[in-house]
Amino acid sequence: MTKSRDDREAQKQTDHDPGRRRFLKGVGIVGAGAAIADHLWIEAEAEQEAKTQQPLSGNVKVVLDVNGQQREAQVEPRTTLLNTLRNHLDPAVTGPKLVCDMGTCGACTVLLDGKPVYSCLVLAVDATNKKITTVEGLGTPENPNAVQAAFVENDALMCGFCTPGFVTTISAYLKKNPNPSLAEVREACKGNFCRCGTYPRVFEAALAAAKGSQA
Amino acid sequence: MQQQPQAQPSPSPKPKKKIRVPRVVNGVEQMVEIEVDADAGPGWGPNDKHKLLNHRMTRVDGPLKVSGAARYTYDQRLPGMLYARILRSPHAHARVTKIDLEAASKIPGVKGIIPAPLMEVRFAGAPVAAVAATTPEIADDAVRAIKVSYEVLPHVVHAHMAIRPDAPKVIAEENNLQEKGKNGDPEKAEAAFANADAIVEGEYITQRIHHACLETHGMVVDYRGGDSATIYASTQGTFTIPADAAKELELPESAVTASVEHMGGGFGSKFGIGLEGFLACRLSKQTKSPVKLMFTRYDEFVMAGNRSGSWQKLKAGVKNDGTIVAMKATQYRLGGLGPGSQAGQPYIYRMGDTYREVYALHTNEDSSVAMRAPGHPQASFAVESLVDELAYKIKMDPVAFRKKNLRDEVYHRQLERGAQEIGWSRRNPVAGGNPGPLKRGMGCAIGIWGGGGNDQCKVAVTISRDGSVLVAVGTQDLGTGTRTYTRAIVAEELGLTIKDVKERIGNSKLGAANPSGGSTTAASLSPSVKDAAIKARMLVAERVAPLLGNPKPEEVVFADGKVSAKGQSLTWQQAAAALPAAGITSHGEWRADLQARGVHGVCFAEVEVDVETGHVKPIKMVHIQDGGLPLNRLTMESQINGGMIQSLGMTLWEGRVMDAQLGMMLNPGFGDYKLPGSLEMPEMVPIIDDDDKREAVIGIAEGCIIPAGGALANAVFNATGVRVRELPITPDKILMGLMNTTVLSRG
Repeated sequence: MTKSRDDREAQKQTDHDPGRRRFLKGVGIVGAGAAIADHLWIEAEAEQEAKTQQPLSGNVKVVLDVNGQQREAQVEPRTTLLNTLRNHLDPAVTGPKLVCDMGTCGACTVLLDGKPVYSCLVLAVDATNKKITTVEGLGTPENPNAVQAAFVENDALMCGFCTPGFVTTISAYLKKNPNPSLAEVREACKGNFCRCGTYPRVFEAALAAAKGSQA
Repeated sequence: MQQQPQAQPSPSPKPKKKIRVPRVVNGVEQMVEIEVDADAGPGWGPNDKHKLLNHRMTRVDGPLKVSGAARYTYDQRLPGMLYARILRSPHAHARVTKIDLEAASKIPGVKGIIPAPLMEVRFAGAPVAAVAATTPEIADDAVRAIKVSYEVLPHVVHAHMAIRPDAPKVIAEENNLQEKGKNGDPEKAEAAFANADAIVEGEYITQRIHHACLETHGMVVDYRGGDSATIYASTQGTFTIPADAAKELELPESAVTASVEHMGGGFGSKFGIGLEGFLACRLSKQTKSPVKLMFTRYDEFVMAGNRSGSWQKLKAGVKNDGTIVAMKATQYRLGGLGPGSQAGQPYIYRMGDTYREVYALHTNEDSSVAMRAPGHPQASFAVESLVDELAYKIKMDPVAFRKKNLRDEVYHRQLERGAQEIGWSRRNPVAGGNPGPLKRGMGCAIGIWGGGGNDQCKVAVTISRDGSVLVAVGTQDLGTGTRTYTRAIVAEELGLTIKDVKERIGNSKLGAANPSGGSTTAASLSPSVKDAAIKARMLVAERVAPLLGNPKPEEVVFADGKVSAKGQSLTWQQAAAALPAAGITSHGEWRADLQARGVHGVCFAEVEVDVETGHVKPIKMVHIQDGGLPLNRLTMESQINGGMIQSLGMTLWEGRVMDAQLGMMLNPGFGDYKLPGSLEMPEMVPIIDDDDKREAVIGIAEGCIIPAGGALANAVFNATGVRVRELPITPDKILMGLMNTTVLSRG
């Protein structure tokens, strides 16, 4: 779920992240296979835990804390957080985009308790009792946050479909590292794909946002 | 939308002339002859005298897009909407003998199923059935529950196998190899080789790559059984949607509205409703409910189209003074079931006596479709590699060699500028000559495109009495900045700021517009917008004349938010208050004199190759692009960057991998299909060629994707001495090449 597979520190954190273990118990969602292949030992641990818990089935009620609001929905346990936000909440939360639905592109990135995750790899039932922040929660067209403003100013978007993911990723990263180098910005964005070719200006926007926030 | 007919400046008969313009059909340009006014009206004025245009304007839709507020097709969710999924053939060639829907139809939540007719499928991924259900998850279940029986037939998916006489036939009654044309005199070209001091012969192959639009193909069909429908489509052509959808829904065309507020990338692949559109319409008709059918990422890879591959056998002869005297080419277009596309060789170069023959070579793969500069990157990579090989062969500098064989002075200027920007003088002229395992090298290449417009756009500018200004036209913004320059043209004409004008686009009930293909949008749309803006200005001028001492309308100056004449001045609000109660609306038509055709681009690349691993690291890329009047420098630079990056992906990483035995794509996802990512980005320098003084709008999107492939491949050769003639340039090919050179033993 954490986007940097190479980031040892981040991986250590997720080992104790119940969301990750419980996600791996989820059946039938596309993309779980790749994650499991990488973390077979976690799967074994998850299986152990599964024996002690009741499986969920049918439609279940979830209450999600989305951008500071309590939102309710009836979903199947297999429904991802992304699809719940987009297809089951009313009104819908469509900032996070469905692009690959298997944890490879980053367009669906949301913050779970402040940490960026691919919401297509999180089940809604595992996202309860967490603070979910989507790109809508970071700022509005009238009141953008520093990263959003810098994206507009530096033209760090074209079609804009990857943009919510990049904005969310970078907003979270700048909280962790308020004064990054270009190399660190590239590293932070490596879990997000853009097809129009905005990368150079995404980097510029991230650095400009960091600089602006420090001033 | 509410366009009031207004008194227009007197329509006296004007002298006409005939010109040829491009029209885009399914993403591909076709030239047609039209009649335009010979004497048109005021022009843009010098490129360096604009107040808004040719400046750096941030996108007007930027704030919506960065905050998640922009509503894309994929974001539409209507009450009672169903989600559709498609079942696809796992076989590359088979006959569907039975489709059993029973189990699928019993799943709670499944509302509609459409089986395909029992037919022959000719590629793995061909649709066999479509379902609509209350959630996407249930639709997935239903697709899995459909049982299909196939009679499997022999298939062929690789070009080198499809060309064999005993290969399975892709289409039973046709040869896999289809001749598409011959050009030149083969005997004359052959004879001219005798005059050459050196000859280079090579086979160049480009792979099939994918558009990989982040918003997949698809639409929401909002039809509930009534007498009208709205189609929310992710499309490059708002007006390519209603006719086909209406036919499928059995409604009059005027009863169907297409809406395209924002769309997440097309790159040539999104025209018309497509097969997915027919399925969505049928499901909507069957269920009397709105249906959303968006491709999954897998669907997108196996059925949304791709850039055709190419296989080019080239031979050229050169004299020691650098003159190319002869060229022969055999070009195969690898478009799967489709004809593919490929510009004819020797592309832009003068090569003396030339001859080419062109074929389409079919395989059991989905048809390629138009992709940004259809056919050009393929031809460019091959000929630029060939030209580079010729230059090295006679030990001539590749930049000087290109200039020698290019007549157009624009390329000479751009090559000089590019050489300076990349630091060409630092380049080691000996290929692979730098010491150490990390070897740097540089290369260059050139590109060409049309980019002219046509007369399809009808624009309305409405000025209300409260001073608000609205420019409306049904066109679409693909992320190219259409909304922004549409506003800016009107604002500049009326002496206002960009915030004072609002635009309304992306709806087929607005004024007509051309589909966005072949870089024709800016050159089609902006003249119509300018024309509407000029007419609106004249209407306001006529109205306010009595308040300003009765000047002639053309003497009234609109600048800095003021309307002035004869030493008197009104604020914009005061001027607008003088309009009739309903305001004024002007209607703009296309003007040929406000646009032009023909762009030039040059790309330089520097790479670093690790000769121990074969890994290529792009270091720096420079692209110089002309385009007449740059409407918006900020977004134009972004497009140039985008062209370089997409070309970088094609050259070094991307490619569809087909399994010969299974006949299916092995990498239909972003985990295995390698898109360019943040870690691979080189330093990028997009340069607008301001030496182009044409006071005319020309499209540049295609132009800037063409040359980077050749530039990168040539840089790899300069770095390593290895000539990789097949894309993508992956480490294995470089290591294989190094085994066959003396570079390592020297190093």
